[in-house]
Parts: sequence; C-alpha cells; structure tokens
Amino acid sequence: MTQRLLEVRELARNFGGVRAVDGVNFDVEAGTVTGLIGPNGAGKTTALGVIAGAIKPSAGAVVFDGRDVTAKTPMAVARLGLIRTFQISSEFARLTLLENLLVAAPDHPGESLVPSLLLGGRAWKTRERELVERGRELLARFELESKEDEYAGNLSGGQKRLLEIMRALMAQPKLLLLDEPMAGVNPTLGRKIEGHLHELRESGLTMLMIEHELGVVERLCDRVIVMAQGKVISEGTMESLRKNQEVLDAYLVG
Amino acid sequence: MYLGVDIMAVWGLNLQFGVAGISNFAYIVFQAAGAYTAAVLTLGPEHATSFQQYIGGADLPFPLPILAAGVVGGLLSVLVGLIGMRRLRTDYQAMVMLVVSLTATYIASNATGLVNGPAGLSLIPKPLQGTLNLSLLRYQWFYVGLTAVCCVIVYFFVRRVTGSPLGRAMRAVRDNDDAAAALGKNIFGLRMTAFVLGGVIAGVSGGVFAEFLGAWSPGAWLYPETFVFFTAILVGGMGNDLGVAVGALLVPIGFLESTRFLPNIGYPGFADALEWIAVGVLALVFLWFWPRGVVPERRRRFQKPQAPSPDADLQPELPS
Repeated sequence: MTQRLLEVRELARNFGGVRAVDGVNFDVEAGTVTGLIGPNGAGKTTALGVIAGAIKPSAGAVVFDGRDVTAKTPMAVARLGLIRTFQISSEFARLTLLENLLVAAPDHPGESLVPSLLLGGRAWKTRERELVERGRELLARFELESKEDEYAGNLSGGQKRLLEIMRALMAQPKLLLLDEPMAGVNPTLGRKIEGHLHELRESGLTMLMIEHELGVVERLCDRVIVMAQGKVISEGTMESLRKNQEVLDAYLVG
Repeated sequence: MYLGVDIMAVWGLNLQFGVAGISNFAYIVFQAAGAYTAAVLTLGPEHATSFQQYIGGADLPFPLPILAAGVVGGLLSVLVGLIGMRRLRTDYQAMVMLVVSLTATYIASNATGLVNGPAGLSLIPKPLQGTLNLSLLRYQWFYVGLTAVCCVIVYFFVRRVTGSPLGRAMRAVRDNDDAAAALGKNIFGLRMTAFVLGGVIAGVSGGVFAEFLGAWSPGAWLYPETFVFFTAILVGGMGNDLGVAVGALLVPIGFLESTRFLPNIGYPGFADALEWIAVGVLALVFLWFWPRGVVPERRRRFQKPQAPSPDADLQPELPS
C-alpha cells in the first residue's frame, strides 16, 4: 500500500505581481522518486522553497507526513525529516568536510549549552563517536575519504554537490528535496551523482528532485511533474509525458 | 592587568563575531555595563551626603560584584539580542549594534540620575585592599594575579563552548545560516547563545577593569573601543581562542599602549588621532592580505581509527 508522504494543495506564491507559483497541487508517495521538471522560471525552485519553509506561501497548504507544515520555519520542517539541498552549493566553508557532516546530524546532545559546558563533555562524546563513524562511512561511500579534513570551502564545485547530498543524508531525512543535484558538474561526475541517487532510491529513500536533464529524470524518477509558468501542466511517467504535446511545447518555448 | 582584561574581552567578542558571526559593534557597551555594575555594587548604598548619584548601590564582598557584572552583561545581551537579532540579517544587525552603542553613550552621559552623567563614578573601593593591607605596588601585582585567574577561568569556559558540537553548530550558522536552518538548526537560538555568553564575558572583563581602576565614566567606553577589539580579532585570527589572545597582545597593548612612549609630534592629540587611523589601517591590511590572522582558526581533526601499517599484508596472518 502506498502512502502519501507529502501533499501540496493549491500552493501559491506571488512576488509583487508575478505569480511564481500559482495554485500547484501534487503528492509525493513514500518510497518513490518524483521528478519536478519545467522550463526556467516555471516556479520549481520557488515551490521547493515554499515546501521547505524558506519562502512563505501566499496561499495553499503543505502536508508532510500527516502534519500541516504550511508556513512553518525551515528549522521546524527540517526537524520533522524534510531535508532540502540547495541549487547553489551551500557548504559551511570554514568547517572541514567531516564537520559539515557532523553538524547536520539531528538531536546532538552536545549542541545544547548545559551538556557542552559540563566537565569532559561525557554526555555527548558517545554520540559524537557514533556520528564520526557514520560520517566516515558516508565519505567512503562517496569516495571522499581523503578530503575528510579539508575545508569545505576548498572543495571543487562537483565535490560540493556531493557534500550537499551527504550532508542532507546525515540529517536522516524521511523526504529529500533535491534542487538540481547535478547543476554545474561535468558529465563524469554527473553520472557518479546519478549512481549515488540510484543507490538511495534502492534503499527506499523518498525523494523529490528538480532536474533539467530529461534522461536522468527518466532513469531515476517513478513519476514526473511538469511545471510551467507557476502551474502544474502535466504529470505521469516520463514515458507517457514524452508523448504529450503540451510538455514538449513548454520545453520548446522555455 | 590591561592585557588580561583585553584578552577576556576579546574572547567574549570572538565567541560572538569569530564563532557565531555576529558583528556586535556595541560590544563595549556590555563591558561598560559590567564595569558599572561592579562599581555600584562595591561603592555601597547611596546616601544623602554622597556627591555621586547612581542606582542600586550595595556593598558586596569581593567576588560578587564581578559575578554580578557578568550577569548584567548577559541580561543586557538578552535584551539587545531580542530586539536586534530576532528578525534582522547580519549587516543590519551590525547597524543596530552601532546605534545601540551610540545610544548607550548618550543615555549614560545625559541621564545624571542613572549613572552620574559624564562625570561617572569614582572612589570605588578596591577589592580586598583593606583586608590584605599591601603596598600599592604589591597590591597591583596581586590584582594582576587575580586578573590572570579570571582569564584562566574564562579561557576554559570559552574552550568548552568552541570545542563542543555547540561551537560547531555556531560556526555552521556563521558560514551559511540558510543551510543551517534547512538542517534543522535553531539559528536564532544559537546566535543568542553566543551573544549572551559573549555578553557575560564582556561584563566580567568590565567588572575586573572597574574594580582595579576605581573609577568609571561613560567617556571611557565609546564605540571606537569596540573596533580595537575587532582589530585584535582580525589580527590574531578569527575563531581561534589562542589567536585572538595574541591579537589582544598585539593590538590594544603592543600597538596602542606603546605609542605612549613615542615623542610628541605635532599638536597635542595628534598622536592619539594617528593611533585610531593606524588601528583602522591595520584592520584593513589584515582583511586584505592576511584574512585568517596571525594564528588562523584551527582545523578540527578527529582521531582516526588505527590505520593498518603499509606492510601489514606481508606479515603472516595469525589464526584467530
């Protein structure tokens, strides 16, 4: 039985007179990968931002995991397990790669004032060790072990994209929102990232991803939502969409 | 003694600016508030014959006024933080802080009933001087020791914060607050924590200072003083506790105090004016050419599991 993890209802967001997102409806089912495609300026990133709480909606509702998260803060949304990545790499530049991962872990006891001040910090050191281990496993999986102590700001653009995904995984998401995870990387690394996303898909992680490369979308996504000019114009499998003239037009025009 | 106070103050500001990324241009106000608190709590209750006006006078035994100075520094930080940091972003926060600094100076200078106006407070009894009965010079050395002890305490306190996951989360907020929020970090809470802890340290350092000088006046705590601390942090190495201590040694002490020994050139006050220019230039030079400072922020490495030696596979395997 499939279960709706995310429900987006009549979501709208205006910027002045521009209706960036204009009454969008869609669902994301648990355990599936959903693609969000459309020409530039279709409102995909804005929609993602509204879902993640970074942008306040003008109207509509977002329900995540049975809870109304409309207009909640990014912090509150993230703590429920809805983690997003950014289109522009958003690493913590002056933290090392491993630290970037550690900081993403939820509910670290050492992050509240009292335990961190207690002598020796025993209260949080066990947790810290577990996290270091988990962080290193992730680094190994993404073949970045050698960069563990490198400042994230010194990584290459492609490595930052990988970090973006790793960091989101460290936060143990129930739903992962990916905003163009392969933006601006070379084809080789792009294929690598795609491979990692395939693995995540196999592991049963629910994802909603914005992606322009239709080949990637076809291989990765169970279902695809097409947006243009702030509206959902079509949805279905990539196969069925390819036959749809309206979708092709949207891409040709965009 | 001055060095100790400056080092403590710089640690507090580093927690706010170097670690959490808050440009607190009103830092001096929190130090002044601490100094004032310590002063009035040592002066004793105000009576009709006293020529000074102040509020909440008391005559507390030694360590209490300094602790109270920390508490007041912290409380004032809570207040200013709630007003200035809740909704505003970094640049605007910085502006609010600058305004707070200027406002505080005006209030302190003009509301005579509050802090005795521009004249400030004087004749503050020095802690333990009566009981110890030391000569002036010896007492000064005693006070140097006392300051050093305070420094050590503050240092361990600061290290505990910066070395913990709490400090790491603060640095994450400093580097990219949107991303930190998207990972479920309470960015306002983390900033407030850094801000208030820094305020407490500022208060303590001010308290130690006032108790030693025996005097307090609003004119000694003007906003440019904050920039000396900022320069110290930039020179020493933002985010590094030892680095900023070196910065405190180099800038307020090595740079500003040493100019006293220069011969007077130009009109009176010319050297002082040059000093401020020099501090500004120093900050710019470091930002431009050496943004990490003399002692840069350290990378936090984590202990690696024992790596197998390279020739491990050459050795015969032992049956387990």
